[in-house]
Amino acid sequence: MSTRSPSRVGGVSALSAGNARSVVYRGLLATKSSNYLVVLSGFFEPVFYLLSFGIGLGSFVGAVTDSRGDEIPYAAFIAPALLAVSAMNGAIYDSTWNVFFKMRFSKLYEGMLATSLGPLDVALGEIALALLRGALYATGFLLVMQVLGLNLSWWALLAFPAVLLIAFGFASLGMAITSYMKTFQQMDWITFVMLPMFLFSATFYPLSVYPPVIQGVIQALPLWHGVELVRGLTTGSVGPWMLVHVLYYLVMIALGLVFTTRRLRALFLA
Amino acid sequence: MSATVTQRAEPAVARATAQRFGTWYVTEHNLRRLKNYGWTVVATAFGTPLLYLFAFGVGLATLITQNRGEGAVAGVDYLVFVAPALLCTAAVTVASEEFTYTIMMGFKWNPIFFAMNAAPLQPFQIVNGVILFVAIRMTVTCGIYFAIVAAFGAVQSPAGVLGVAIAVLGGLAFGTPLMAYSASLTEDRGQFAMVMRFIVVPMTLFSGTMFPLTQLPVGLQWIGWISPLWHSTELARVTSYGMTEPTWLSVVHVVYLVALAAVGWVLAARITARRLNK
Repeated sequence: MSTRSPSRVGGVSALSAGNARSVVYRGLLATKSSNYLVVLSGFFEPVFYLLSFGIGLGSFVGAVTDSRGDEIPYAAFIAPALLAVSAMNGAIYDSTWNVFFKMRFSKLYEGMLATSLGPLDVALGEIALALLRGALYATGFLLVMQVLGLNLSWWALLAFPAVLLIAFGFASLGMAITSYMKTFQQMDWITFVMLPMFLFSATFYPLSVYPPVIQGVIQALPLWHGVELVRGLTTGSVGPWMLVHVLYYLVMIALGLVFTTRRLRALFLA
Repeated sequence: MSATVTQRAEPAVARATAQRFGTWYVTEHNLRRLKNYGWTVVATAFGTPLLYLFAFGVGLATLITQNRGEGAVAGVDYLVFVAPALLCTAAVTVASEEFTYTIMMGFKWNPIFFAMNAAPLQPFQIVNGVILFVAIRMTVTCGIYFAIVAAFGAVQSPAGVLGVAIAVLGGLAFGTPLMAYSASLTEDRGQFAMVMRFIVVPMTLFSGTMFPLTQLPVGLQWIGWISPLWHSTELARVTSYGMTEPTWLSVVHVVYLVALAAVGWVLAARITARRLNK
């Protein structure tokens, strides 16, 4: 890239023009003109799950003991988990399928990086888009929970930033992983990692049904921390241990951002 | 059969064979195409049932038994109750994969249906070939599913093996109308994402799969009544653990599923013929 101006050499300034908002703006325009209905409809998925499991299955299960030993109704147990899952799904789909398409087919990033935008601008811009979508779903779902009486505490208000934190973690890491993908079929492996995480991260029943070894494995996975964090907030069982979950995501975000930026630089600016 | 092609038969002969065996050629083509994503098919065919069985049949079942005792759901273990539903859902999942984007691709992005039609195959042969292929894929997937479910001890009667055929019938009853719809689409404006979100997902959640349909408010039970998945799951429960059900209701299940599959099939063939002969 011999045309790059000398002021962009070295440090963060070589990676960013501080203009991630133009990437966001472009994304919003593209959504508005093409698939906003698809985006909006994503809100319904966790609601369907909540109605099916919470109301239908809930009457079989009755009350559930959460990780702190409190008895809570089944619907109130799974609702926060579904919220965390929808944050993960939204972020992953935005940062994998959409990014994959833009990277491999529409060559969007090559165009962006040929301008003054740097890889960090692109990464942050794409992640911000994923977060906007996550924020939209989280607001809607928290309102549904409120209407159904599933927010058991005022702490539930903090579930909103918690969901954004979860989405940020998955989006930043997901984009880095996507950069290694070359075909649509490889993308199926992402689904293959997400499905067990969705099913086993104490989403539908407490972790205590598993033997200790499996519990340990699940506790190492990011979604479990997200589920525990959101569940603690909406049910009001809050304590200093929740900072561990927050820390987990902060580390994940930092690693993901470094990783993604390096990959974008290696792919397009080397 | 493919040997005839390589031997460069007389055009008239090649044409006659193509017309005669058209359906099988289309099926064969699709089976070969499957090799492109063979590992995904194998991994999902084995992995998905195992995951769902552990999650719901073992994990959730533990919780339900803890809270409500043995035989809390429909008088049997939760694993036994949920297994036929998972089997039938697997067929519906294959149908929703194979009868959406693949069909649009055949008309639009990689318009192989037009090529086949020029080969010359009749439109109905193309439709039959695709449906036959999907039925084969469903049978293999559900066969593996059934073997795993049986290994978990979740099948109480030998008649339970009929569940594979029932699941395939249910998958076709959902799939052929979907194929007709897909064949009628000329532009991709996210319709398939909508079908997944507002038909496939609610259908799998509200068809009496994870819990009996009667558990839902009456206002939502109609979803099950019109859902092919509910009809196939109920039938599969009868064969798997002898769920008690009036005979007339079992007959209704079969008639409804066959009727849906047949109507969808005819519609798909008509729409395809109209589109290819334009």
